[in-house]
Amino acid sequence: MRRSLALLASALIACAGSAAHAVDPTLALPTYTAAYEPTNVDERGLWMQADEAERRMRDSPLRIRDGNLEKYLLGVLCREVGQERCAGVRLYAMEDPQFNASMMPNGAMFVQSGFLLRVRNEGELAAVLGHEFAHFELRHGLNGFKNRRTGTDVMAWVTVLGGISNTPTGSTQLSLVGSIFRFNRDQETAADLLGLKYIAQSGYPAHSASEIWKSLMAEQEATARGRKLKAKQHFTAGFFDTHPTPLSRAVYLAQEADKLPAGGDPRKQELQDALAPYLPRFLAAQNKLNDFGGTDYILSNLAARSGWTSDLLFARGELYRARANPRDLQLASQFYREAKAAGYAAPDLDRNLGLALIRNGQVEEGRAALSAYLMAAPEASDAAIIHTLMAN
Amino acid sequence: MKTANCVRAAVLAASLCVSAPAIAQEKTGNKEGFSLKPGTVRIVLMRPVVDVGEQSTGGMFEPNADWTTQARGYLATALGQAQSKLGNVVVEYSDQSTGDGPLVTQYSHLFNSVADSVIEYQFFPGNRLPTKKRGKSFEWGMGDGLSRLTSLKGADYALFISTHDEYGSTGRKVLQIVGMLGGVGVTSGVHQGYAGLVDLKTGELVWLNADRQMGGDVRTLEGAQKRVTQLLEGFPGRPVEVAAAGN
Repeated sequence: MRRSLALLASALIACAGSAAHAVDPTLALPTYTAAYEPTNVDERGLWMQADEAERRMRDSPLRIRDGNLEKYLLGVLCREVGQERCAGVRLYAMEDPQFNASMMPNGAMFVQSGFLLRVRNEGELAAVLGHEFAHFELRHGLNGFKNRRTGTDVMAWVTVLGGISNTPTGSTQLSLVGSIFRFNRDQETAADLLGLKYIAQSGYPAHSASEIWKSLMAEQEATARGRKLKAKQHFTAGFFDTHPTPLSRAVYLAQEADKLPAGGDPRKQELQDALAPYLPRFLAAQNKLNDFGGTDYILSNLAARSGWTSDLLFARGELYRARANPRDLQLASQFYREAKAAGYAAPDLDRNLGLALIRNGQVEEGRAALSAYLMAAPEASDAAIIHTLMAN
Repeated sequence: MKTANCVRAAVLAASLCVSAPAIAQEKTGNKEGFSLKPGTVRIVLMRPVVDVGEQSTGGMFEPNADWTTQARGYLATALGQAQSKLGNVVVEYSDQSTGDGPLVTQYSHLFNSVADSVIEYQFFPGNRLPTKKRGKSFEWGMGDGLSRLTSLKGADYALFISTHDEYGSTGRKVLQIVGMLGGVGVTSGVHQGYAGLVDLKTGELVWLNADRQMGGDVRTLEGAQKRVTQLLEGFPGRPVEVAAAGN
């Protein structure tokens, strides 16, 4: 008896000891059901629509379908949310210069190239993928749909009854609309907070999530400067905002992250290596946005990490050639030449250099560059028009 | 980080739905002088786009997976039955592991865009673009790229079919009745569909039938048969006597 008491006591001590070392229970992840099937009529309907949308995106010409990039991104997601959770996810990388990623209720995730251009390390990438996964895990698609339906149902009744009784309903309608958007913002915050729990498990730095919003604000300021506008950062979200503002997200995510274990390596180099082959394509899409300040900011950010590589210099030349002030054309030709010196090999460099030079009045040099282009790419789809241009 | 505009558009659409009944006009378009002799060509039926659901009280579309699956099945059966009346061989599209899948999906979407433009800018005469005003001209197409797809080799025409149905929910119907009593107009239910035939050699749209107020409950076999009959109304090249019986 005494022995068993002693055993019990030592067992209790052992338990207490292990409890002291265990992970903070507030960071524990909720139970996860793998291979979940939609249960009720609304959810099945949404999944059906999501399946159709997934087919479209899977077959879209904008999808980056060489497989390597999607494999890398899925690997990052698995590190972030764990093998159990990431097992059923289909991840599609899309060439789209918007800063965005999303996940549909059926477990298909889309990552836009604009977002990949902006994240500075794997930790930031993982934080956003985790946030999107949290929307999926918390079934926000379904809850948002139900909320919009209830809101608009009530609005329809208010409209009809108001019409019959000749009562003005504007303010009631407005507050109903407001409640729909407020619900959406609350879901974003909930996903942010669950996302932080994934970060705590993953070993990525705890402050990854808040850092993204800080750098997004810096970019918005650069865009505004480029457009000669005043950048406005608000703490409180506007009436029609679907998301909390970047400023408030940066603040509350940083506050919550302070409570977490600091985390480890953000894996900067791994991200850089994985994205390097795709940078020319992503930057070309970004350049088409006609956002001089924002693009310049992104380019300088990339250059700060990798130095001015030939791809970055070429993209910079494209950016300046597109704005096309006389001083820009001068600089564009310079960047193209630097890119060539740094090893840019594709023939389109000579064409664009030639066009920039001709617009800048340096006709002879321009013709030389254009004929170099035609020598290198005689079968190009625009060869005929370049010939015409050279003849004039 | 979901698309904000989507949500905004949905809310806006829902708030406007009560007072904006859809004004539509049924019509069929045919490339001038186009005819199809029975028994001469091979037609491929592309994967039909089918959406069935309810319309919520506020006018939102509530997709219903069970109804859509049912409708897909019934429409396929009805199309199979209607085949014999079309006068030419109709086969269902299959990828045949050619890897054409993504391109074919993209062409289906291109077809939808072209069909929408035809409905908007050809079937509503007031909207007609200057180039579409000449007599009976019906000049629409989607490029000759289709002829290069391996999985479509041996076929002459592609038949595209699309339906979208929203059945008014009980709430919507009650709202409609209350609105009616009080003199406020509320529409209940949306039933749209179109069918089009594309020449695979040239990419030209040779026939389009579009209706934004279709009949036939696609959730039943009889309704699906009625819907298919309406969708294929005016289909070129069908034997006259069977066409008359089919209507």
